[in-house]
Amino acid sequence: MASEASAALNQAVSLREKGDPEGDVREGAMEGVLIACGELGFRETSVRAILEHSGGHRAQFYQHFESKEDCFAQAYAAWIERLCVSLLEAAATAPRWEAGVREAIVRLFRFVNARPAIARALFVEVQIAGEPALARHDAVIERLAAAIDSARSEIDPADAPPEATGVFVVGGIESCAAEALSAGDPDRIWDALPELMHFAAGSYFGKEEAEGAFERASILLERERARPTGAEE
Amino acid sequence: MTELRLIAGTAVAEPLEAEPMPALRLPPGRHGIPADLVRAHQRQRLLEAAAAALAEQGYGRLTAARVTELAGVSSRTFYQHFEDLWACLLAAYETEAALLCAEIESGCGTAGDERDSRAQGGIAVALDFLACRPSVARLLSAEPPPQIAALAGARRDLVERLGTMLRAALTDPEGATPLPGLERRLVGAALALVSSRAASGDPQRLRDLEPELSELLLVSL
Repeated sequence: MASEASAALNQAVSLREKGDPEGDVREGAMEGVLIACGELGFRETSVRAILEHSGGHRAQFYQHFESKEDCFAQAYAAWIERLCVSLLEAAATAPRWEAGVREAIVRLFRFVNARPAIARALFVEVQIAGEPALARHDAVIERLAAAIDSARSEIDPADAPPEATGVFVVGGIESCAAEALSAGDPDRIWDALPELMHFAAGSYFGKEEAEGAFERASILLERERARPTGAEE
Repeated sequence: MTELRLIAGTAVAEPLEAEPMPALRLPPGRHGIPADLVRAHQRQRLLEAAAAALAEQGYGRLTAARVTELAGVSSRTFYQHFEDLWACLLAAYETEAALLCAEIESGCGTAGDERDSRAQGGIAVALDFLACRPSVARLLSAEPPPQIAALAGARRDLVERLGTMLRAALTDPEGATPLPGLERRLVGAALALVSSRAASGDPQRLRDLEPELSELLLVSL
């Protein structure tokens, strides 16, 4: 992974500490609502549970947010934007489409491992939280789908895949993350890397390319597993 | 497909052309309808109302009160049928999932012997089933709260069953064996696509998905 991409990932996880030294209540509550929802579930999360993670008082919370739902929606928008930019940057560092998709998935998996509660809020609880977080979710899926659709530049127009391919592939990757997070086993997500690359490459380029993408992802997965925990490339 | 609707004590088979509204409430007082039929009717109304309430409120705000209101039954009646809200939603999920799978099997079976036409037949009836019933499309395609273990399990069972059906329908007996587990990714992707189209509120957009979805699934397995 390129150093700037690693920095982008670190930025995406940089709010790990509760609040910040200057007592940024809004940012702290936005991180707190995602952690609380990821751990307890959206329905079970109260403002009190959010404040247990973020610090601060109810009055401060309501200065910034109308409700738990409003706080979740704002937090979702901020964090998913950060993650989306980070994934797009990871893809942009690669010379070709397949390597770019693989880099983005690896970046996503590292995020899931580093911040499982927040990832669970972003990929699972958003489905529970309702509008307007869901509207933002759909917009992000469309944006990532448009990026992954750059595969078309490597395909003869006569063999172009269906228009819905981008949303199909991004939805498949997202559902894989949601499945691992719902099962409470985020480490398991790595097992799906070769399979996901087969799925993504196959959707655009067919079975032959899919098999090659599977092999290359399997090799990368072995290297990733051999890497010491927390080591950066 | 037909659905049994009970109107004023008469069982009527209606063609399923549009999303059924929760069935009409039975007349109060003496109506001469056998008690077991009344109970079955109440349960059917509650199942339909659960899907409708979910589409309206989402998982985050869903309440048993809204389900009973839409079903036109009392809270007491609700709890005579179900232990809680999630038991009701689980029953709705399992009922609709079984209906969807039966429809797909039927669609595959009547579409001929060719692999591609069988698969297209199954996909077409599945999309039509969901387009006719937008609230059911929402119920079956959206990820349920993982904290509701039985509901999350029902979702996993549906993905597993659809994956098995997909593999059986699309595997070429003379071709290479498809990658194990790939069908789960394909079903997950297909459900995500269905969920996004269902959210648009235009059922025709779901039906229009058939050629694209068929191509995407056929090219991968």
